[in-house]
Amino acid sequence: MTASDYLDLLIKALLLAGIYAAMAVGMTVIYGVMKIVNLAHAGFLMLGAYFAFELFQRFNIDPVLGAVLALPAFFLFGMGVHWLLIRWLPKSDTPTLSSLLLMFGFWLVLQNVGYLIWGNEESSILMPRTFAAIHVGDISVPKVSLIVFAAAVASLIVLQITFNRSWFGRSMRALIQNPYAAQIVGVDDLKTSRLSFGLGTAFAGFAGALLSMLYSFNPDFGRPFLLRSFVIIVLGGLESVSGVALGALILALLEVFSINIPIPWYWHGWRAFYLPASYQPVISFALLVLVLLVMPRGLAGLLQRKRRVA
Amino acid sequence: MLLFGLLLLLPLTNPSANTVRLLLTTAVWIITSIGWNLLGGLTGQVSFGFAVFYGLGAYATALMINAGRSPYFAFLGGIAVAVLASFLVGLPTFRLRGPYFAIATIGVGEATRVIMNNLDITGGASGYRIVEHTPFRQLEHYYSAVIIAAIALAISALVFHSKFGLALRAIKQDQEAAADLGVNPYLSKLWVHAIAAGLTGVAGGLYARYHAFIYPGDVFAFQTSIYILLMPVIGGIGTVWGPVLGGVIFGMVEEELTVHFQNTHLLLYGLLLILIILFEPDGLVGLLRRLSKKLKSRRSREDSGSNDPEQILRRRGGVEGR
Repeated sequence: MTASDYLDLLIKALLLAGIYAAMAVGMTVIYGVMKIVNLAHAGFLMLGAYFAFELFQRFNIDPVLGAVLALPAFFLFGMGVHWLLIRWLPKSDTPTLSSLLLMFGFWLVLQNVGYLIWGNEESSILMPRTFAAIHVGDISVPKVSLIVFAAAVASLIVLQITFNRSWFGRSMRALIQNPYAAQIVGVDDLKTSRLSFGLGTAFAGFAGALLSMLYSFNPDFGRPFLLRSFVIIVLGGLESVSGVALGALILALLEVFSINIPIPWYWHGWRAFYLPASYQPVISFALLVLVLLVMPRGLAGLLQRKRRVA
Repeated sequence: MLLFGLLLLLPLTNPSANTVRLLLTTAVWIITSIGWNLLGGLTGQVSFGFAVFYGLGAYATALMINAGRSPYFAFLGGIAVAVLASFLVGLPTFRLRGPYFAIATIGVGEATRVIMNNLDITGGASGYRIVEHTPFRQLEHYYSAVIIAAIALAISALVFHSKFGLALRAIKQDQEAAADLGVNPYLSKLWVHAIAAGLTGVAGGLYARYHAFIYPGDVFAFQTSIYILLMPVIGGIGTVWGPVLGGVIFGMVEEELTVHFQNTHLLLYGLLLILIILFEPDGLVGLLRRLSKKLKSRRSREDSGSNDPEQILRRRGGVEGR
């Protein structure tokens, strides 16, 4: 393992973190504002991927453009879903069993509608760009990864601005912090919830479309990302986009470097420990349990506590 | 009781092997539903990873049978392994609340499946075959499944009506309040998890013995966890008969659906799940109960009016007693 190999892995992790963050932020918004664990998030990711796929197949639309188009499309879709299903759920400031099961049922529906429409073979978006790479010295970076990363970061910046500057963003943050107090100061709970759900869905669709450029997919697509998104939420806390970004970065670093963990072997300096890629869900899960046990409010909460004491 | 008697007498009517298989599968699913319901319905801890115990029970039973043990001893082995696993899983995860717990169980399920896929001692992803040196008698499998299902139902009813069951219900409604009243939520959850896992494990063992071939993509699949969860929720989460009803419906209908709609049969269940959560959280049992109450109240309204307050209360449905 040379230095440039490590650099290569580091870059891979960074790029991965970008897309992970974009993917997780959708679930974060919904969870934060409405305290609903959106299991259907996986379904939305899948739909986003197929959205880009269909646009590419039928109209030859570049998937990046497809991803951008996914934002308004899924925003409306999300608001529709909220109006149809979500608004009937009992409100509470902790996640409820019924919300969990409802979103799970909806995910099943989405998944199976996916199977109905697209069957269960793998699909993927293949273009000349898929195989192009940029070479810097010893390191080669696939062009798609860079594009996806750029798109993800751009979307996150836009979200951060919305969160901090707009009235809507302020309403969201108020609901995240304390739903009851927010209503007292005049935040329209229903409207903000609906817009938030739309926003979360929009980002899920957007991320899904971006992911379609990187991976092949089938209607069961979202599931490994579901667990990852939740780990990122738990790591990063709920109140900021930068928290999500941080959580995404940590997870990405762990996943990428687990393929090659340097462990000191007692007789010969460093030996590398290889964890097969299929073990990655184990990483997410182990990390999740660890974080939840040690710091239930996520890293952001931990840092906040330290800052307050100081 | 009547149903049980019917099931026992069934072989006298000389049913087809297919029917017996169907009923056997249903019985196995009923056992898992009852098990899951104890944890998810009564105690309110929704686990998306029960396939872990199903699969571990299956594999443990399979290994023991192949090692020469009697199948019933192997079932006990399956239970033991599942219960042990339930403690391993429960110790860290029960410190988490509600949906955190649920998502953690997704992780447990996935992690276990991945590990079992890579474990070569048990055949890894290609699966594991059971070789029994006694002739295959379908009825023996059938009876063992039905009897164990009855035992499971008895255990479930016992727990529901016991003080332990009351404690679990308290935990479901408000864990802190329950703790204030003297219940130890963590321990209680661990115990009920053990019971649930044990039941699921024996179901896995029954399945393994009948099919004589298991592989991780089948018994440890996320889809299996979904099935285990769907049945009690649709039938009636948190009730004694709900899981039975759910298991029956699922077992009977699943065959037909899988034939006609290979990949989309879950669509029906997804829709059912949504409808149930939105309109009748108590599942089909709740629905039936509501219907029977409506019928009863209509009938009693036709009776002569009585001014006795007790009778009026009783007619109006009175205090809900489960």
